[in-house]
Amino acid sequence: MLSKAGTGFGMLGLAGTLQGMGLLNRETQASQGNLEQLHVPAKAKRVIFLFMNGAPSHVDTFDPKPALAKHEGEQPSGKLYRPSKGSGYMPSPFRFAPHGESGVVMSELFPHMAQCADDLCVIRSMHTDVPNHEPGLLMMHCGNLQPIRPCLGSWMSYGLGSENENLPSFVALSPGRPVVGPQLWSSSFLPGEHQGVAVDTNDLDIEKLISNLKHPTLSRPQQRQQLDLLLKLNRLHIKQRQNDALLDEQIKAMELAYQMQSEASEAFDVSLESKEMQEMYGETPFGQSCLLARRLCERGVRYIQVYYVTKSGKQPWDTHSNNNEQHRKLCADSDKATAALLSDLKSRGLLEDTLVVWTGEFGRTPYSQLDKKKDPKKAGRDHHHTAFTTLLAGGGVKGGLTYGATDELGMVSVENRVHVHDLHATMLRLMGINHEQLTYRYSGRDFRLTDVHGKVVEEIIA
Amino acid sequence: MFRSAKQFVLLPVLAALFSSSAFADEDLDFFESKIRPVLVKHCYECHSKEYGQAKGGLVLDSRNGIRKGGDSGAAVVPSEPSESLILEAVRYESFEMPPKTKLSDDVIAHFEKWIEAGATDPREETDEPIVQRTRAEIDWNKAKQFWSFQQPQKYDVSGNFENRIDGFVSRSLKEKNLTANPPADDRTLVRRLYFDLIGLPPSHEEAAEFYAEAKEDRAKAIQNLVDELLASQHFGERWAALWLDVSRYAEDQAHIVGKNKTLFFPNAYRYRDWVIEAFNQDLPYDEFVRLQLAADLLTPEDATDDVALGFIGLGPKYYRRNSPEVMADEWEDRVDVVSRGFLGLTVACARCHDHKFDPIPTEDYYALAGVFASTEMWNSPVDEKVEVAKNGHAKEPKESLHIIRDKNVHDIHVFVRGDVNSKGEVVPRRFLQILSKTEPVAFAQGSGRLELANLIASEENPLTARVIVNRIWAGYFGTALVGTPSNFGQLGAPPSHPELLDDLAVRFMENDWSLKWLHREIVTSKTYQQSSELSTNSMSSDAGNRFLSRMNRRRLTVEQWRDALLKVTGTLDSAIGGPSLTPDDRDERRRTVYSGRSRFQLNPLLAMFDFPDPNAHSASRVETTTPLQKLFVMNSPFMVSRAEDFVNRVESESDDIHEQIEFAYQTLLNRSPQADELGLGEAFVASAGWQQYAQVLLASNEFLILD
Repeated sequence: MLSKAGTGFGMLGLAGTLQGMGLLNRETQASQGNLEQLHVPAKAKRVIFLFMNGAPSHVDTFDPKPALAKHEGEQPSGKLYRPSKGSGYMPSPFRFAPHGESGVVMSELFPHMAQCADDLCVIRSMHTDVPNHEPGLLMMHCGNLQPIRPCLGSWMSYGLGSENENLPSFVALSPGRPVVGPQLWSSSFLPGEHQGVAVDTNDLDIEKLISNLKHPTLSRPQQRQQLDLLLKLNRLHIKQRQNDALLDEQIKAMELAYQMQSEASEAFDVSLESKEMQEMYGETPFGQSCLLARRLCERGVRYIQVYYVTKSGKQPWDTHSNNNEQHRKLCADSDKATAALLSDLKSRGLLEDTLVVWTGEFGRTPYSQLDKKKDPKKAGRDHHHTAFTTLLAGGGVKGGLTYGATDELGMVSVENRVHVHDLHATMLRLMGINHEQLTYRYSGRDFRLTDVHGKVVEEIIA
Repeated sequence: MFRSAKQFVLLPVLAALFSSSAFADEDLDFFESKIRPVLVKHCYECHSKEYGQAKGGLVLDSRNGIRKGGDSGAAVVPSEPSESLILEAVRYESFEMPPKTKLSDDVIAHFEKWIEAGATDPREETDEPIVQRTRAEIDWNKAKQFWSFQQPQKYDVSGNFENRIDGFVSRSLKEKNLTANPPADDRTLVRRLYFDLIGLPPSHEEAAEFYAEAKEDRAKAIQNLVDELLASQHFGERWAALWLDVSRYAEDQAHIVGKNKTLFFPNAYRYRDWVIEAFNQDLPYDEFVRLQLAADLLTPEDATDDVALGFIGLGPKYYRRNSPEVMADEWEDRVDVVSRGFLGLTVACARCHDHKFDPIPTEDYYALAGVFASTEMWNSPVDEKVEVAKNGHAKEPKESLHIIRDKNVHDIHVFVRGDVNSKGEVVPRRFLQILSKTEPVAFAQGSGRLELANLIASEENPLTARVIVNRIWAGYFGTALVGTPSNFGQLGAPPSHPELLDDLAVRFMENDWSLKWLHREIVTSKTYQQSSELSTNSMSSDAGNRFLSRMNRRRLTVEQWRDALLKVTGTLDSAIGGPSLTPDDRDERRRTVYSGRSRFQLNPLLAMFDFPDPNAHSASRVETTTPLQKLFVMNSPFMVSRAEDFVNRVESESDDIHEQIEFAYQTLLNRSPQADELGLGEAFVASAGWQQYAQVLLASNEFLILD
């Protein structure tokens, strides 16, 4: 591991803002071995959050519902569900089978992840507040339906800082823009350095990946010469000003920036990976983003979000039509990349303290969405917030576990229900944080990620 | 076994008179075997006196409790399944209870049957009241004793001080055994005054003029310079930035669905320009407040100042607006920007419960929210030619001025625990109780915006003047007298100089709320004009400089810094006002205050240098120092371009390296280079060239940090 102790990237600007909080204040240095400042021992040190934009269909992936065949064509009842214009309940065409020693069940769309079955914790009983993308995305990222709260990654960066002073603590990887966009990695009222550094992975060329990482014309020795002069002038300046700490902070930041140039250039450069490795992840934007996520996580980036979006689609998983064909295609890509990430992390010994999350903002309706005149093969599924599936792996969660359940038709999660707030509380717990105690005083009160909600799902913690 | 509803009315009476034997045995058996165990197992943890939990105000371990229900109404209405909320909840139709695991269909059927049959419930009654919306017992007389709710007053300044600020500061220094620093030297002072008053550095010539005058009569030179800078059109540009943060000014929305720009504010800049102009014209602050809340009601016949209503009208519009819960979120934004922005009170804390620390009950929040519930975000047509829809809105955003107007004037319910489905009592629209001398009077004119504005912009309001005085003070000293500029409540910071704050606030009002008076009062004080040297004494006993024994050394704001880069390189376009721009565009040469502010994505340069997120009111900027800022300084096309401009300027000035370096230092830093600096510069230019040297000078701490 390249993790270092010290007042790193995420820490630099903190001095003023953490004082009032008195929590997780790492002025005593060291990003590891500091457990007395965590609320509980951490099971995970970093998070990779794989986000399937648009919302995958739970009944086609990890939540088999054979009863849908029996009730095929029947219309759903209950006032939560819009009267469907479609042809009623629609069974999944995909075969489900148990895998691994644990027998975790998934559909045939995940042949690679089937190999990782014993590492997966499948939460089938997720639910959220609304069936619309924007608020659904904000809820999953920020724990609130409006764009006025910091996201999970910013909270983690704020609470835990960075493991590597030369890299940002929080990075958001996305080929193009997901729906909602920057609010999903916003630090909101938390200090600005906790905002996610957004990286467009459409072009993996290192100079295009991160802005201002390289001088347009100067070589590294030239820039060193330049910075040496700057350092001399700044030292003359500070000497005449009683070594004011304010000035010293600027000098240090400049040096760090210089270090960052080389370290970040290396960290973000996927081309340094072998051809085999690149192929294992799949040479798609999502596959390569997952590979990049592994490089970053390996180098101590605390929180990495990876969005499954495409150049043309901000939410490819939003399969209102052609659900089956689309899922076949999307899952093939996501399956390969996610499985590669899990096995790669595992072989490097990183999976045990890296939490990997695979989810959408909600699920999809067990009934179809289809104009009756159209080809039934092109049927879609609509947004569905009362039941969906989230996968966790590594980072202190029980592998080979299927947790919670939906009703017979996959309409409502009914057993061991897990709200998004509960997921957040659990993720923070795995990182060693009590979600009720990671707070920030703003606008006259103490805010927290889970607001007044959230219950840790103890049963899935190893 | 089914009873009619009529028969059942008698039951509570019977139950009080008789023991449980009054119930039919089979009904009792049903309750004991099918209902009670389920309640105990699945509900009591959150809803019982036994566990001391009454979530949602609901307790289920007594007959009274289950029938009376919680915040949302009766959980069980005997024989009326459709009115019994508990059934909706267990069916997951509205509430989803129990939250973790849905009850089986059989159990749900038992509950239906039980209620239909009259909901036999033999459980003992207790005299304890059922938990309801708990109300804070506020002792108003005591609450009004808190410092910020008392009228500010003037205080005696003993000793001979030309400027009363110095009297108060020097008294507290004496108490702490501290002494003020000596005055800053001419160079430091001229730079400080230029940057602070107009946001730009003095040119070599401007500084030289001041040095010459100061030699004759320093006091007069300072006086003249302050007059000149206060009269400059650039004064409003510098200080508007503060108000744009307060008013969470922005030109778009955080939620953008596809390419839908119908909720954008392409003419928002007119509000920004109005603020600049208001500051330049020294519009009295009380009027400044009134116009932003109620210009349309103040002068119904004259729409000139209606643009000021952008203070509310340019606020966020959330996704799925017009649904009750989303509108409730929008009202919170309006209440928040008004209460924190003008009053330094966190009224929005009281949306879901009485304020936990300040005397602001929930009904006060809804009394204010009602004003905004009676106000519409209006796309007002920019002129008569614009095509207007039936509802009076201009059809195109670019032909709209986004302001507000009264619509559907009405009082609203308290939403218990902030839940729009859980309505409490209706509250009349009115002002906060803590800021009212007597029982607050219900607003009677339309939405009540004008009445609200008048109560805020009033000499009798103890907060309004203090809050703005404190904000302006922070703009000069980097630290505020009240360290939490938008929270003057219990959890806010107590004032470092309470008498100074009050004295300034009162005199500010006596001087007709003139902001320019306030600015002049501050910059002509010795406290402001002292040097920023760190003395051993002040560092040991007042390291944080709370007592102002020195001036604070400050990093330039991103506006000051970027504008300075443009001015020193001779490329600043100093036109005032107009549509917004992209500040990190290398060819953009207008001042930073004109930057577009986006709720969707803040410009990276602004975000990097601590601009607040305009999705909500910002009390102050959190200053950070990060390597990403320095990467911008080292490598960005914008900085490379500024260095090129500077080299052109230097080279057109002289061919002689000594003269060039002299010119560079005078232009950038208003001083000559020292001998070692000159030596280092000469050697570096000889080996690496001017372009690289220029970038070093522009990146130097001395250019970024104001002494």
